[in-house]
Amino acid sequence: MKPQDFNTKEENTWCPGCPNFAILQAFKMAMADLVNEKKVKAKNIAISCGIGCHAKIYDYLDVNAFYGLHGRTIPLCFGMKAGNPDLTVVGFGGDGDTYAEGISHFVHNCRYNVDMTMLVHNNKTFALTTGQATPTSEKGFVGRSTPLGVKDQVLNPIALALVNGATFVARGYTSEVSHLKGLIKKAVLHKGFSFIDILQPCLTFNNFTSYVKDRVYKLDKNYKADNIDLALKKSLEWNYSMEEKAKIPLGIFYQIKKPTFQEKWPQLKKPWYKVERKIKNSELIKEFK
Amino acid sequence: MEKTILIGGKAGRGTAVTSHFVGKLFCSLGYYVFNYRDYPSLIRGGHNFNVLRISDKPVFSHKNKYDVILAFDQKTIDLHKKDLKKQGFVLGAESLKAKKLISINVKSILSKLDAPQIIENDIMIGWLAKYFGIDKKTLLVEAKKVFKGKKKALIIKAIEIGYGLAEKKENFKKKGSGKYFISGSSAIGVGALASGLDVYIAYPMTPATPVLHFLAGKQLKHNNLVLQVENEIAVINAALASSFTGAKTMVGTSGGGLALMSEAISLAGVAELPIVIYLAQRTGPATGVPTYTAQSDLKFAVNAGHGEFTKIIVAPGDAQESITRTQEAFYLAAKHQVPVIIVGDKHVAESDYSSSELKISSISNKRFLVENPTKDYKRYKITKSGLSPRAVPGQGPKLRATSYEHDEYGYTIEDAGKTVKMVDKRIRKEKNIEKEVKTLKPISVYGKGKNLLIGWGSTKGAILDSLSELKDYRFLQVSYISPFPKKAVEREIKKSKKVILVENSSTGLLADIIAEKTGIIIKEKILKYDGRPFSPEDIIKKIKK
Repeated sequence: MKPQDFNTKEENTWCPGCPNFAILQAFKMAMADLVNEKKVKAKNIAISCGIGCHAKIYDYLDVNAFYGLHGRTIPLCFGMKAGNPDLTVVGFGGDGDTYAEGISHFVHNCRYNVDMTMLVHNNKTFALTTGQATPTSEKGFVGRSTPLGVKDQVLNPIALALVNGATFVARGYTSEVSHLKGLIKKAVLHKGFSFIDILQPCLTFNNFTSYVKDRVYKLDKNYKADNIDLALKKSLEWNYSMEEKAKIPLGIFYQIKKPTFQEKWPQLKKPWYKVERKIKNSELIKEFK
Repeated sequence: MEKTILIGGKAGRGTAVTSHFVGKLFCSLGYYVFNYRDYPSLIRGGHNFNVLRISDKPVFSHKNKYDVILAFDQKTIDLHKKDLKKQGFVLGAESLKAKKLISINVKSILSKLDAPQIIENDIMIGWLAKYFGIDKKTLLVEAKKVFKGKKKALIIKAIEIGYGLAEKKENFKKKGSGKYFISGSSAIGVGALASGLDVYIAYPMTPATPVLHFLAGKQLKHNNLVLQVENEIAVINAALASSFTGAKTMVGTSGGGLALMSEAISLAGVAELPIVIYLAQRTGPATGVPTYTAQSDLKFAVNAGHGEFTKIIVAPGDAQESITRTQEAFYLAAKHQVPVIIVGDKHVAESDYSSSELKISSISNKRFLVENPTKDYKRYKITKSGLSPRAVPGQGPKLRATSYEHDEYGYTIEDAGKTVKMVDKRIRKEKNIEKEVKTLKPISVYGKGKNLLIGWGSTKGAILDSLSELKDYRFLQVSYISPFPKKAVEREIKKSKKVILVENSSTGLLADIIAEKTGIIIKEKILKYDGRPFSPEDIIKKIKK
């Protein structure tokens, strides 16, 4: 299987040069690899997305797909997995989508540990609605709804995921496509809730490329990803503000094994649509007499 | 032969358990029982009470005058003594004060037994059983069946002591075969299980929670998944995704939760995903009077979700209907790929109904999926009927579901012409839904009078029980609100002299719907919006005044 086998005939309407193309490409490469390595079945790949520029990826991937409501991509992943544990489930979300509208689902799914992958296209702005601030827009960010500048503390999604029990926490960057592809492969293979925050500058409304480019570095090969204290420390190295002196680590901050949602619910053995039931009506009402 | 017993006490005193047991006991002897539960929103203290109406004839509601008040505190007596019948009496511990108190020396019995206060309930159960002439063996068999756990032996002992203290005054002998005794909530659960429920997702909200409890407790036995997640928005979105994969999925909530779910109900409409939504109404607006009943969310349920899409609304009127209407909801949702809302309320949900049989409908519980979808399969195929054959992920073709307007494959479109075609396709489904609902008894008419009482949902019981004194009236129960059985309702109204709507609301919402659908304006309404359900007397009094 080749990455382009996931292509559809739909017209791509992202801005020319949008880093979203890099996420699309990294995802297709990662999944083609996993299919070729027989670790994933193509017909069982199921994605979901929220609403925003990221979500257009729904039309550009030939896989099972659920184009949901704004902020609700994570419950869709949860539900797909609860309905069919055989699916390889990947959610796409934006930063506004995941960290504003859908933050409750993000926090709780870190705890549930459903075997799914969550990819957040983080451009630190609402792009499809023309450039308003999101929770990851830094203090001082000027957008059309915040002409006086954002006055609030920026949200650190990596730290948030760590303290809430996510079992795979990583950061990627759209200018590092092959690195991102590697992260996606590992995230999909990880059994549990895998989360990658992907820095994806918005060329039209929030182009922070030059800021990130000069500050990113990849976590060292000797970095031990199974240590929560270390991971938290690393997560605080950059708090998503635009501080001059910051360094931005890329890679897997944290990865551990914990029982997955499926392991916690013994009923969830196969897709429900394959379950044939022999219902005895008299059994159902017996206790009421 | 009919008796009404009120059992009251502070929350946490087990009045509900006691009342349910006494009800079940009479049912096992072959009597009909209706059990009404009244409780405030608190865990300890306050005042809870249950009203048990016991009869040798079928009864569907409770009454407001009592033969016996079983009081576990003084408040019960103070609040309800005005409704004690002339020949009635109060049963309670020696510390209570009442004119017609039969007092039991509870303190010394409990201390002899070294038993906690709550065992008083069992002494009283024994006492009542003897008083009403129930045979001791029947009592003990039933008690051993119901009471389990560490305190079982103590409970049985206390019941026996209580039995020994009373004198037999009534003669409730075994009378025919035992009756079923079931709450509306359990009945919704039974209906879901009979439909082949795979996944139930909910967030706790009174008075829908008993269904969550019922199903959660049985999930391993019935091999389904019962989940509580972070909020109602997660509930409905996860449920729709589970339905997307082919699971038979249901959610349950009350009005506030339905408000949070509304956006996703619209998603179910456009994505054509089957989903069954159980709405247990309570007194609103907002938090309202959360443990009390109302029928004031009818128009909200009918209109829940933005945009135009097809939705089915069905309203069961008692426990039996809660089983069969839930089955119909699953069937219609799966077959026509639409959201179905079962509109219940606190009164049906938390009352216990008795009957000589409990019917489970033979309606199909198939999944209505395409057997072997081909490669060129189109999930949203434009068809004459509007219904597109449904496949699910994993069957072969890549499946799509989307909140956007879409083409036949499910890809996003914004094109004017294609948009119209897809909207028309979805709306076309309504014809077959209407045809199908016509075969499901969308209305029922009881009695033969020339005047008409119209009602829906939980008012059924009180209206039915009032008909014996309202010979000039018959009762039209509307069970399907969407699609609305327009012609049938119109026919009944037009052949009636006087038409009165009975509803637990302050405006009479069904009248608005009837006006919208038929053009007929119903001016006379009997309304109740204090959170309490109608009793037959409430209706009779209003009509006869």
